[in-house]
Amino acid sequence: MSRWRHFTVVGIFILMSLGLSGRMAYLNVTERTFLQEQGDARSLRYETLAANRGIIFDRNGEPLAVSTPVESVWIDPTEKSRTPTEISNLARAVGVDPRELSSKLERYAQREFMFVKRRISPDEVEQVTKLHLDGVHFEREYRRYYPAGETVAHVVGITNVDDQGQEGAELAFDDALKSVQGRKRVLRNASRESIKDVEYVTAPRFGKDLALSLDLRLQFFAYRELKSAIEEHHAKSGSVVMLDAHTGEILALVNNPSFNPNELTRVAPDARRNRAITDLFEPGSTVKPLTVLAALESGRFDERSIVDTTPGYMHVGRLLVQDPVNRGRLSLGDVLARSSQVGIAKIALALDDRMVFDAFVRAGLSEMTNCGLPGEVIGKLSDSQLKNPIVRTTLAYGYGLTVTPLQLAQAYLMLANSGVRLPVSILRRDTAPTGQREFDTETVSTIVQMMKGVDSIHGTAPKARVLGYEIAGKTGTARKVGPNGYDEDRHIAFFAGLAPAKDPRVVVIVVIDEPQGDKIGGGDVAGPVFARVVARALRVLNVEPEEVAS
Amino acid sequence: MTRRRAAVPARPSWQWLAAACAIYIGIAASGVCVAAVAQDVRGLFVALAKNQNRQDELLAQYSRLLIERGTLSSYQNVDQAAERQLAMRFPETVERVSP
Repeated sequence: MSRWRHFTVVGIFILMSLGLSGRMAYLNVTERTFLQEQGDARSLRYETLAANRGIIFDRNGEPLAVSTPVESVWIDPTEKSRTPTEISNLARAVGVDPRELSSKLERYAQREFMFVKRRISPDEVEQVTKLHLDGVHFEREYRRYYPAGETVAHVVGITNVDDQGQEGAELAFDDALKSVQGRKRVLRNASRESIKDVEYVTAPRFGKDLALSLDLRLQFFAYRELKSAIEEHHAKSGSVVMLDAHTGEILALVNNPSFNPNELTRVAPDARRNRAITDLFEPGSTVKPLTVLAALESGRFDERSIVDTTPGYMHVGRLLVQDPVNRGRLSLGDVLARSSQVGIAKIALALDDRMVFDAFVRAGLSEMTNCGLPGEVIGKLSDSQLKNPIVRTTLAYGYGLTVTPLQLAQAYLMLANSGVRLPVSILRRDTAPTGQREFDTETVSTIVQMMKGVDSIHGTAPKARVLGYEIAGKTGTARKVGPNGYDEDRHIAFFAGLAPAKDPRVVVIVVIDEPQGDKIGGGDVAGPVFARVVARALRVLNVEPEEVAS
Repeated sequence: MTRRRAAVPARPSWQWLAAACAIYIGIAASGVCVAAVAQDVRGLFVALAKNQNRQDELLAQYSRLLIERGTLSSYQNVDQAAERQLAMRFPETVERVSP
């Protein structure tokens, strides 16, 4: 009896063991993949490792573009059906039209993911949280903020909703600035808490910070004065470019109209153009110093040379070249200071065909500056008709070629560096680059000396005078091309200069497009902007005044 | 007729008993250690997660403070404060101030 019971119990246990082993083998062999997937689906999750885009600073460490985390609300439309009240409450909490959200939910009815609204404010996050709605989730994203707003909008640029650079430095240096979110696989418990890192799929990569060459203080001064001048003269637009004369760095680059990069709705596309590098102008008289430079280099003229502009006009073929009044006999310095068209025409015609053209090329007017900003264009400077004296004459006083304000600034940078051409940069430089000598030091010094007369009482821009500092510069007033040739009523006013003239610290170009009113010349419109910007810039840069009143 | 006595298994020697106890204690200790290490790992994982969250929060706070600093110290504000609150004016003359 007892032996029979013993074998029965042992047999049952053996059968149970065999049954369990068989079941285990069955699950491990035939159902393994399915069960593994199901188990993983319930316990393994991917988590994002946040990484933010690099910060853009100015040269002094002032933030120009900063990414900060914000929340985006999303739901799974297939998860559950929602009542109209829930939809309405959710829409109101995030500031969306309830009807719009309802129709969006219908469109996404078959999908498992739908953004309700991206990048909502902290207040909106609180409102949504208070609703305690099931199946409403937040996803952390980054939003780009631009504390300096419209002042630096064209240079810094913008990013899109996916944090990718679209314009300006954001686009040009996107590879360095952009971040890559990391991804890891974690084990979760029944309470959906992560309890273990299973594997790191992708390591997060933080974007690198970027230091631009801009000085936010100078940028602000330049923008304020430009905007003020455009309003005063009812001009269409304008630009100011300021370069560091020692290093070629762009200290300020502003355009007006501008836009607020923090609020891109209702921004006219026109306002988003970085005119200083994309708009081409005939530079007018601002290139005359280069013409005189070519004359001095030729050896046919020197600083004591006299040009007779009597009777105040001349004919070059069918072209009538004239000054506002008969300026008589002028030195080369006076030709520049008074911006005599006749004087410059006579100088140009006395030179070989290519001399003026070559001087322009060596000054950089035929090349892009490659400053680092995207969208830069190159002006037109052709040598195809230099045999024609009309072409040579008009070229000498700045017609028949086009440049961007930044190209013109680079040419004046060469003058500030005694004939050495420096590359221009929008990135901060720790050391001055080695330039390329294009003109003789003494010849360029002579030109700069001649350009000092521009703000004298007899010059074309007394209003460009900067208290305490001697400056060197040149005005320009170019007529714009219309459908029927040069337009009598539409002009561009320029002022291009260096300060202080003795040892230039900054190079500044001011361009005002289509000023209105009685005074539309470069000396009256652009000159005062130059003076006000330079006066503040030299103080900010700690340049000691030369003229000290007792 | 003599009955054969059933074979009596030999008593395990004390060495075998000691070895078995040692193995048992070792296994038990190993199990306890595994549990303790697993607990430590969980604790460290929680600490790591907390630190990562803290890092995220601090980075977020840093970015917000940078934005706030940039906004408050914008030269538009500084200029307005200098002119309106402190009645400061850009100098109309240049003079050397000797100490």
